[in-house]
This record gives sequence, structure tokens and C-alpha cells, in this order.
Amino acid sequence: MAIETIIHGSDLELHDMQGILIRGYGALPEAKYLLLGFEDRKLAKSYLKDMHLLITNGLVKPKDQAMNFALTASGIKTLGINEEDFSTFLREFKEGMTEPHRQFVLGDKGEFSAGNWDWGQPGGEKVDLLLMVFAKDHELMEKILDREKERMERFGVKLLHSLPTALLQDHKEHFGFRDDISQPRIKELAKTYQEGDFPAGEFFLGYRDLYDEYPLSPSVAEQEDSMDLLPISYENKQRKDLGKNGSYLVFRQMQQDVVAFWEYMKTKTISEEEAILLASKMVGRWPDGSPLTLCPDGPNMDLSQENDFNFWKEDKLGLKCPIGAHIRRTNPRDHLVTETNAKDSKEMAGKHRMLRKGRPYGKPLEADIDPLKMMMKADDGEERGLHFICLVTDIRRQFEFVQNSWVNFHKFGGLDQDADPIIGNHYQEGNLKTDEFSVPQFPVRKKYEKLPNFTKVRGGAYFFVPGMRAMKFLSKALE
Amino acid sequence: MSLIHRGLTLSFKVEENHLEQVNELLEAFNRQQPSKESLPDTFFISWLGVPPQVYAEKEKLPARILLMSSYVGSKRKHLQVLVEAIGEELRQVLAFTVGFPKEQITNKSLVRFLAKSSKFNTYYSGFKFISPKEVIPEKNLREWVYGWVEKQLQDPNFGTSTPQEIKDRIENAVEKDPNYNWAMKKPKGLGRSKWAMLSALGLFGLLMVLSLFIALVSIWWNLGSWVLLAWLFPFFIVSIFLLLVLLRKEENIEPPPIQVINDKDYLEIVSREKNKVVNEMTVIAPLKPGKFRRVFLAVSLRLVAMIRYFTYIPTVHTARWLQLDGGKRLVFIATFDNQSEAYAHDFVDSEQRSRNLAVIFSHVMGFPKTTWLIKRGENYRKDYMKGVRSFQFKTRFWYAFNTDLSVENLKNNRAFRLGLHKKMKEHEIRRWLLRL
Repeated sequence: MAIETIIHGSDLELHDMQGILIRGYGALPEAKYLLLGFEDRKLAKSYLKDMHLLITNGLVKPKDQAMNFALTASGIKTLGINEEDFSTFLREFKEGMTEPHRQFVLGDKGEFSAGNWDWGQPGGEKVDLLLMVFAKDHELMEKILDREKERMERFGVKLLHSLPTALLQDHKEHFGFRDDISQPRIKELAKTYQEGDFPAGEFFLGYRDLYDEYPLSPSVAEQEDSMDLLPISYENKQRKDLGKNGSYLVFRQMQQDVVAFWEYMKTKTISEEEAILLASKMVGRWPDGSPLTLCPDGPNMDLSQENDFNFWKEDKLGLKCPIGAHIRRTNPRDHLVTETNAKDSKEMAGKHRMLRKGRPYGKPLEADIDPLKMMMKADDGEERGLHFICLVTDIRRQFEFVQNSWVNFHKFGGLDQDADPIIGNHYQEGNLKTDEFSVPQFPVRKKYEKLPNFTKVRGGAYFFVPGMRAMKFLSKALE
Repeated sequence: MSLIHRGLTLSFKVEENHLEQVNELLEAFNRQQPSKESLPDTFFISWLGVPPQVYAEKEKLPARILLMSSYVGSKRKHLQVLVEAIGEELRQVLAFTVGFPKEQITNKSLVRFLAKSSKFNTYYSGFKFISPKEVIPEKNLREWVYGWVEKQLQDPNFGTSTPQEIKDRIENAVEKDPNYNWAMKKPKGLGRSKWAMLSALGLFGLLMVLSLFIALVSIWWNLGSWVLLAWLFPFFIVSIFLLLVLLRKEENIEPPPIQVINDKDYLEIVSREKNKVVNEMTVIAPLKPGKFRRVFLAVSLRLVAMIRYFTYIPTVHTARWLQLDGGKRLVFIATFDNQSEAYAHDFVDSEQRSRNLAVIFSHVMGFPKTTWLIKRGENYRKDYMKGVRSFQFKTRFWYAFNTDLSVENLKNNRAFRLGLHKKMKEHEIRRWLLRL
């Protein structure tokens, strides 16, 4: 395996982390997410033991292939963890994404309801493990998949779903907008310090977070670790830290209805330029990625990766980038309407960031993902979307908070009936409406009504990404 | 008419063995909510039975029934409204309490009985000076004006009008419409209510300034017995300082361990938050051991009550804090936007807010240790969240006048209405129009 060792990140135990925590494997364009189910504890442990050398750690930068994995709560249980140890995992992880109250918090109802999902649905096949496979080309990917299928067969592990991915050109997502620009920088991984860098503990267990505390980490009783594989727990010196150098992974498969998206823009405007402007207002950036806050009158290629901007001084009223736009909801930066100053807003918004790792899937509606061309296309019957994956150390404070309070809360920022125009769940139920989008302008805001769901959740689950030592522990101990 | 939001807290002792029946009764009442028309001055009512708790590992604090309402106007009138609206329910529940007359009592006597059970509470409102009867009309007004402007936009000349011309035309339209011309008058009692709310703080400030002034003047002139007033300011400062020193000693007392809430109970509590916009939570916990803590908290609550005009907690509709059982128990209830899993974070996510609130919460069992009240130890946030949940109780009966509008919605509707009377500069009018 061709590798290149990275030099920074010395404060982190990169050798004990799975590579997905450190990088997105952008150099490996082929990726598959395999959802697996265990049938037998002993075989499952042997499967994991056999996999140990195949897992890419955080120290290396692979040039041809990489493989990482994560476990669901049922997967962890199957591996033999006892009730007391299991109770140390986060409540949200243990309950799972489809527990009725979690569904309520996440806004998964109607078209988003877990009952309609393709995988991870309540009462459906039990997903235990997520295997993330990356390769430099299709041929190598096929080889790895053959090897993995053989290993699965050998250890009685069932392949439930094989989720394909496809990177789109210019880092775009299927609606035609440049994605993945606003990622939090991790202090311990950065070569130089910048204001606003995040401590590793926001995303990796076993390190200090923004509160200068160690995030809650799963642990096991000291006597369980007879091989002394795990470090001492920060919480309780009598216990061993199972979470150190691991993370919680949130997976949501989000189907995108590209035809419906551009159709809506077309029907609500009088020209193609206006349709693109409306779509950009909903996103908060132009298709090339340049932010409306910095260039409200038209895209500017020079700013296509620009992430150094705020809202409080530049656009407090949302006249450039509407308050309800997707990027203002998922990262309100220094302007939360409910706060009284930019400093407090920034402080509050910073406590709810996630490290995104997902990839798009499906064939684009137009090869070059040009909005003008996509506007003219009829539905091709293909399924496409985004495998949203993020890493967090506190599922509720980070992922669920954003999903609940910012994305789906129709009162966000003092609005009346507006869920996130792009990824929010739009519906009407009695007096309750969440399907509007407001564009502030003079003399009165323009209200767009009856937004369909441009995205729909097709599957999802909460996972735990163990560190390398924890992986060894889970496969060898607890016999 | 007073537009000040107030909190009424009624507390009744109850035998522990009756608590289950009381809570079942309240759950039954909760399913048959009183009409909004019957409670014209009331925003919220939280009603629950609280089990006994233990203070400082030795003293059992009694089981209680708490009824906490948020209302606008006079307390006496509010008690009458409550008795008129839920008198029968009150009688059924209070029959379980210690000291409630066995014989049938009249509404008048019931009001008197309730008034005697009322406790001091420090109350916060996130949408000050709006009465329940104004909530829906102000929402409808804003929606109507929005629709009216949209209609006018069909005339191309309207869009090119100046902001002042548009404001004038809106005001004319409101003035002419019999359903909305009430909005052209300022809400009655608004100014008076603002002054009344500031009066305690004003009086306190005046006394302190007077004390300083007399101290200064007495250097040159003999002021006779007036000079006693000069001691007021130093007395206040020294008392607070002394209390702080005594509190510091008590901060070192290790509180007994608490029973941390299990996942099942936690889920049961949060699963009750079924509203999409406004929800409620009740936290009741014994104080950490130490008599000066009780005094310090009592003083703090009264000082916080004085400055409530200036306090701000985002996304909170109403909140209250009070001490019970000789100051050995703290009750905290809040109604807020969205879910408590998000709301509870508002307190700890902001450094400044968590420091301010430590002045109240740090005295309570289950909450993290502090030094000199503001210096916090390791794991503050984690322990804070644990503390909140471990002492949270199910509110068995919850009435809310408004469950559809967020705090920002309420404030925005009010600001739009008040803008109808205001003279504004062009940029202010533009901002005002964005409220539509």
C-alpha cells in the first residue's frame, strides 16, 4: 500500500485513530458504504479480528486504497459488551435514530418518516456494522469488494446493503452547488493556529472540547481489559476508556429530487437567471460556491471557496443572504437572531459544529451539473443524493441540535413557517406549516409557499467509530 | 391596566401517600384543558405533585403540590380568574392537602385560601408587556398588513414609493379598517407598566445614591439623624461581602451524592415535550448544605427580581425561581421555544450566561461546584446537564395560552404594531417593513 506519513497532528494519537477521522480520502474517488449484519457473536469477533490489519489508521495518507468501519449499538452488543459497560455510551446512540422521540427531535415524519426508509428502518434488518471502502479506481474497488465478500462469507457476516458513491465534478452536489466548503478546522491538526479553530475533543473522543472538558466517552470495567489494551478513563480511574481516539458517526442517506428542485425555481420565477438567483438565495451561495453575503449581485469565481465571512455586520437583516438560507441555518456564524451581539452568537454557533465526511451518490442529472441544463431536463428515473456522514462527540449537542433547532425548526431566526429550504422537512399539518421560504427585500419580504421536499431521508443510523486499540479490545476481549 | 407579567406560585403540603392520586387527577385534568376564554389573563399554568426530598442527608422536605401560573395584571384578579376557570379542579386536588377545609367552601373563601398559599418568586418574561388578549390580534394584524402590501404591489407605482410613503399608506389602511384600527392606539398602560417594573430598582438605587450623598455632605454639615441613612450603602456592601465570604466557606462542604437519572426516566420526561413550538420543564431540587447558602440565594433572588426589566435569556418565554421549605428547596420552571434538549444548552453554551446563572443554580444539589460563585471546576457542563435532568419532574397539568408563536414571533408582532405610531427615519422604516 503506497503511503505518505503526515507530519503534523503530533498532539493526537493518529496511529490509534481510524483514518476517516483525519481525512476524507479525496484522492480516492471510488467509495462504497457497506451495511453489514452479524449473525453470531464468536464469528463477528473473528471477523473484526481478521480485519484489524486491513483498517487504515490516521497516521497514513493512502494513495490507492483505504478501509474504515463503525458499529451500531446492536453491533456493539453483539460483540459481547455487558449492560453496565453499554450504558456508558451516549443515550442517543443507544436509543438509535429511529426511536420515536429521536424521530420527533429529528423531524423525521411524513415523507421523512423512518417507516419509509430503505435501510435502518424500525423493524427492518438489523444493521451492525458500516464498512467504508475507498479505492483509487473502479478495478481496485472491485478487487477489494471481492475480498470483503469472501471475508463476510467466511465469518457468517451478512451484506445487507451496498451503498454506492460518486464524487461529482468541482466538489458539487446534485442540485449543482459547490459543497463541503465550510468545514471546522481542528486546532491539533492545523499547521498554524487560526482564530476559530476547534479543539479535537469536539470531534474525537479522549481530547478536550470547547468547554475544556473531556467529552463523555464509553468505558469498560478495568477487569474486562485483562490484556491492558485500553487507556485509563478520564471520567473514572477504575475504568478503561473504550472511546479514546474514536468518535460517533451520524449517517443519513438523503435522496435529492433535482428535477423537482429546478422545476420549483422555474415556476416561481420569470427567467433562468432568476431561477438560479432564487436557488442561490435558498442555499446562501451561488452554484460556484461564492457566498451571497460577499457577492450578492452575481457569482464570483475568485470567492468560490471563500469561507471567511460573517453575517452580523455584513448582512444582519438577510438582504443578501436570507436568514432562512441553508448555510445560515447550518452554520449561523456570528449572527443568531436570538442573541444580542456577534460575540455571543459566534460562541453559541460554535458549540454545534460537525466534521462532515459524506459523499454524493448516483449519476448526475447532467454530466457537468450545470443548473441551466438541469432546468431543462425531464426526470430520468435515476436515484441520486447525498450520503451525509458527520463525526461528533456529542450527538445531541451537535447533530441533533442543528437538525432540530436550526434545520427543521420553522421558527428559526424569528421566521414564521420556514424550515430549511434545501434539507428541511416541508409539510402542513392543521395550523402548522413548515413549507415556506422568506426572502427579505424592500418594500416587503417575498414569501415562497408550498415548497416540496427537495430531499428525503432514505436511511440512517448512529454509529460508533472505535480507535484501533478499542477495535482490538472488541475483537479479542469480552469472550 | 398593568401589563407586567407576573408569576403566581401556590404551594401546598400533601401527605406522601396521596401523591399518586393527586398526580393521576392532574393528568386527567390535563386531558380536558380549560378554555382560553376562561383564562383571559393567563399565559401558562404548570401544576404537579412533588415527592419528598432530603436536605443535607438528614431533613425530609415534605411532599407538595405546586401550582404555578404566568399572568398579566393584578394578583387578586388572577386568583379570581383561576377559581372561576378551574375552581372545581382546584377543590378536588386541594382536598388532599394539609389544612384545606373539609366542608364545601365558596369561591371567595377559595381565593382567600389560595392567596395565603402564595410564595415569593423571581419571575422572568421574554416578551414583556404583552397581554394574552393581544397575542392573536397582533399576529393577525401583521398578517393582514402583509397581505395588504402584497396586493398593493400589483400596482407598479407602489413598489417605487419611498419608505415613508409606504408607511403612511399602511397606517391609512389600518386606520380605515374597522377590524384593525385599534392598532393605531398605543397599548393601554404600556408606559406606566414599564415604570412600575423599574420602581423597585429605582427606589433601591435612589436609596443607595442618597446614602452616598448624605455620607459626603455630612463631612461638612451636621445632618442630625439623617446621617443614619449614610450607613445604608456601606451596610449593603459589607453585608454582601460578608455573605460571600461565609458562602465561600460553605462551598467547601462536599454535598451528598445524588441519584443520577437513568436513561428510561430521562426518555419518559423528554418524550412529554410534544409541542412543535413551545414546551415546559420543571426542576425542583434541595439546596446543598449550609445556612448561608439559603440566605445568599434568597438575597440573590430578590436582587435578580429587581433587575428583571434588563435580563435576557434567549428563546425563553417565561421562567421563575423560588425557594420553599425555609429556603431549603429551589424550584425552577421555564417555558421555552422548541425542545428542552436544545433549550437547556442555552444556559451552558454561553460563558457569560452560565456564569450569571451559577449565582442561582450553584446552590442546588446536583449542580457543579463553584469557587466564589463564578469559578467553575472540571466537567461543569456535563455535571450541569446531569443536575438539570436528575431533578426534573413531570408537570402533570400544563396549560399554555400560546403554543404556536415563538418568543421572537411575539416580539416581532408587537414591534410591528408599535411601529405604527412611531416617527421613523428612512432606514428605520425599511427595518420596520422587514418585520412584516
